[in-house]
Amino acid sequence: MSVAAAVTERIHWIGALDPGMRTFDVILKTPSGTTYNSYCVRGSEGVAIIDTVKLECADQFFARLQQFADYGEIRAIVLNHLEPDHSGCLPELLRRAPQAKLYVSESAQLMLKALVKQDGLAFVPVTTGDSVSLGDRTLRFLHTPYLHWPDTQCTYVPEERVLFSGDVFGCHFCDRRMFNDAVGDFRFAFEYYFHHIMRPFKRHVLDALALIEPLDLAAIAPSHGPILRDRPRDYVARYRELATPRLKRETDNGDRTLIVFYISSYGNTRRMAEAICDGAAEVPGLRLSLYDLEGSPVEPLVDLVEEADAILIGSPTINGDAVKPVWDLLSSFAGIHVKGKVAGAFGSFGWSGEAVRMIEDRLRGLKMRVPVAGVKVKLIPAREEILACRDFGRQVGEFLIGRQVTREIDFSELVSAA
Amino acid sequence: MAKAKVKFADVNVTVTVPVGTRIIEISEKVGSYIAYNCREGDCGQCMFAVVEGAQNLSKPSELERATLLQQYREIIDGWRSLDSAEAIAAAMKRDNLGGRECRLACQTQVFGDSVVAPL
Ligand SMILES: Cc1cc2nc3c(=O)[nH]c(=O)nc-3n(C[C@H](O)[C@H](O)[C@H](O)COP(=O)(O)O)c2cc1C
Ligand code: FES
Repeated sequence: MSVAAAVTERIHWIGALDPGMRTFDVILKTPSGTTYNSYCVRGSEGVAIIDTVKLECADQFFARLQQFADYGEIRAIVLNHLEPDHSGCLPELLRRAPQAKLYVSESAQLMLKALVKQDGLAFVPVTTGDSVSLGDRTLRFLHTPYLHWPDTQCTYVPEERVLFSGDVFGCHFCDRRMFNDAVGDFRFAFEYYFHHIMRPFKRHVLDALALIEPLDLAAIAPSHGPILRDRPRDYVARYRELATPRLKRETDNGDRTLIVFYISSYGNTRRMAEAICDGAAEVPGLRLSLYDLEGSPVEPLVDLVEEADAILIGSPTINGDAVKPVWDLLSSFAGIHVKGKVAGAFGSFGWSGEAVRMIEDRLRGLKMRVPVAGVKVKLIPAREEILACRDFGRQVGEFLIGRQVTREIDFSELVSAA
Repeated sequence: MAKAKVKFADVNVTVTVPVGTRIIEISEKVGSYIAYNCREGDCGQCMFAVVEGAQNLSKPSELERATLLQQYREIIDGWRSLDSAEAIAAAMKRDNLGGRECRLACQTQVFGDSVVAPL
């Protein structure tokens, strides 16, 4: 049971080690297991418990809690994040400390009811600016939603200069030495966690950093992995770097970015892609790129899409479907933010031509905007079909720079053509 | 079949539709930036503004009214929690509810000509 526990004289780690965990939340590999961090904060007028652990680890949690506090002393329980790996022991903790008040973020309220099926569960919703006094220590709340659920928040104890950051700055890494200056090399785990958990929410990360950066920080105490007491600011700076769009940082002349992806067996869809680029090139203020999906693994392309304003995807129809590299690309968008980006589809076909329609449906399903109906060309694009492709590229480009043409259409066109 | 015209002001597209068509069925296809989540009147994500022709849209159901109320509250609380006059002005400008009638795109049916826009 010996685990490094004292974050400061007043703050102790009372979480659980889960060294055997190998896959987390379906999407994460955890080769070094994980920890569920919860903390006990002692003030002159009572104790606060920050987060709990997953239900399966209840024994570890309650045993550690009892080393540092009596249940009767607990005044406040804070859940920075309601995911079951942090809220799992809440019902039992409330049973043992019925006098304690529960604090959750404003956006956690409905979710709490769905997660903790307990009638009459009392709680206090809090947001940035709210605080709770423990006598000579204070809990101050920061509203930092969508990191990585709608309900997430951070809690700061100014007298100790410690930030309880929830999943932000966390990682899956299990080492009983617990502090970043004492544990093994966990850099990979830290980056991997950001990449798989925080990446789709970069804008929210930047909002949260605006609240976190002004804080005086002796340590950051996240809800998974090492406690960051050695140079905590480095991790804040790293988050800012990871969350800031690179293209805009490196060159920003205000251009809008349009990427045309295609794949093509006989060059028909490729010819269409080139004509679409030619059309878009007639629109000023666009940064245009053309990529053959055959030429690259998916990951770097996803990086490009993440910072693009618009993407167009071209696929031939093969056996009644768009081809696998296209679906591989599209299925990787879940890890980034694509909602609201402009998108479209095109492709050559032989007789049935399902691909364009299927890609468009998927783009809409991802909440991308598909303002111009896709172009389909039967086999080799003829001169006028090349012109239609150019038009398509130009229309998308004009939509992108806010110079749309006024259109009048009939619903039946949308239903059949789209 | 009786027809009606709906204009999506953000993308400048006017669509002629059979009366009774729901806004959601059209807006997604023309790329209007009305966002959706639950698609069943619960979440309020798809709230949009009626610019013209409110009387030509279906009357809101009890469910839609309740969700709209919740959504208005959230917007106003959002404004309330901002701490500078500039931030509040910017949020109000963005949401621009002043004088507009808002509806849910997943619920509202079109019965006559109208002009709609995302918030
Ligand atoms: C193995 C194979 C299967 C195909 N299946 C279909 C199909 O189901 N429907 C269709 O419309 N065209 C089908 N085609 C025809 C291609 O879509 C057509 O040749 C197209 O022009 C290829 O464009 P590309 O040169 O850009 O690859 C198929 C072609 C091949 C080689
Ligand atoms: S999409 Fe949820 S209310 Fe319309």
